[in-house]
Amino acid sequence: MDQFGDKLASKLHHYSVLPWNDVYGSVEAAEAFVLTNYIFFLIISFVVTLGFMLLAARKLDMVPSGIGNVAEAGYEFIRNMCNEAMGKEGQKYAPFIATLFFFILFSNLIGLIPGALPGTGTIGVTATLAVMVFVLYNFIGFKKHGFIGYLKSFVPSGIREMGWGGKLTLGVFVFVLEVVGHFLRPLTLAVRLFANMFAGGMILGIFGIFVVIGVAQLSAGGFAIAGLSTVMLLIMYAFKLFVGFIQAYVFALLTSVYIGGALHADEH
Amino acid sequence: MFVGVAYAAEEGGSAISVVPVLSEIWPSIIAFVILFLLLKKFAFGPISNTLDKRAATIKESLEKAEETKVEAERMLEEYKAQMAEARGEAGKVIEQGRKVAESMKAEIVAQANKDAESIVAKAHEAMETEKKAAIAELQASVADLSVAVAGKLIGEKLSADEHARLIEKYVAEVGSLNDN
Repeated sequence: MDQFGDKLASKLHHYSVLPWNDVYGSVEAAEAFVLTNYIFFLIISFVVTLGFMLLAARKLDMVPSGIGNVAEAGYEFIRNMCNEAMGKEGQKYAPFIATLFFFILFSNLIGLIPGALPGTGTIGVTATLAVMVFVLYNFIGFKKHGFIGYLKSFVPSGIREMGWGGKLTLGVFVFVLEVVGHFLRPLTLAVRLFANMFAGGMILGIFGIFVVIGVAQLSAGGFAIAGLSTVMLLIMYAFKLFVGFIQAYVFALLTSVYIGGALHADEH
Repeated sequence: MFVGVAYAAEEGGSAISVVPVLSEIWPSIIAFVILFLLLKKFAFGPISNTLDKRAATIKESLEKAEETKVEAERMLEEYKAQMAEARGEAGKVIEQGRKVAESMKAEIVAQANKDAESIVAKAHEAMETEKKAAIAELQASVADLSVAVAGKLIGEKLSADEHARLIEKYVAEVGSLNDN
């Protein structure tokens, strides 16, 4: 099993945050100006997303076709989602949500290319996006309802209508819970996306190791393991493609729900 | 302050970071913000416009189609009414024509009958005249013949007066015979 340990270590090394060309060793959290392997692929995702969208925008026509049609269908899907979550104001925030969706989607999909990494497979990127969402939706809430008004909305109207006794006990308790809940939102957003993309890569890596080790055994058992692992590898690959779409959708959906909640904070 | 799940590879020192690395934060922010600004202006704006324009065009086309349909239905109704009217008119014209023809036919037949009758009458008249002329002529020739015969028989012993009386008497007899 030493062989497996070594290969696993090398896989883990591959999926660690490293300088992009992997020559300087690991990147420390405090290092500010190192182009990491994940950011290298995030920039590729950036270019691909931008290129795809700009190309699609040039192919727009009254009769939809080709790449323009794909971008349109995607954008309309996001726009409808925003309208459902936010009502009339959905239109205004649709470009933000759509940027999140397509950037995350292309990052996830680029991670499927063998040897490449998903830009969203590192907590640095997902946490940054999640914190941006957190700041934005709370900013929208404060702007729309005023500082006190927005904070007040954390407590349900039923408790607000109680006497001082209820307000000070139940009210404060619910308020604290709600604040904790709000701070958990970016954490869950960040970890969900990061963990899904990172784990997907690791699982593919592990089945890949099994294939290599199995073949190297040059025995019937080894080939059986290799064959089975190849099948699993293909299944997991398809699954990861699916997960890439789902996670981009979930991130975009939750963001639009959070913004919708901030916009309509006075309604519950 | 490195918090991570360090993998205990003897020589590696690689680690899976569960704490954001600073050198990944600012590129993410910059990349996202630039992408957002560019896409909003050059991609999502035009896409959104196209979607709205298409929706408006489709709505307009549907409305126009509905209008056209209503107009077509109205025209069809109109044509049907006109058709029915024309058909009625044609029927009337035919009926009228038939009546005229019938009356003309009756007139023509009546005229023909009248003409025929008058022709027949004229023919009768002519025949009568001819007959009378023939009789008169016959009477004259009978008289002359009788005189000649009588003269021959009695040897011119009759005077001219007696002669004339005898003839008249004879003619009257013949005439009364003829009348029968």
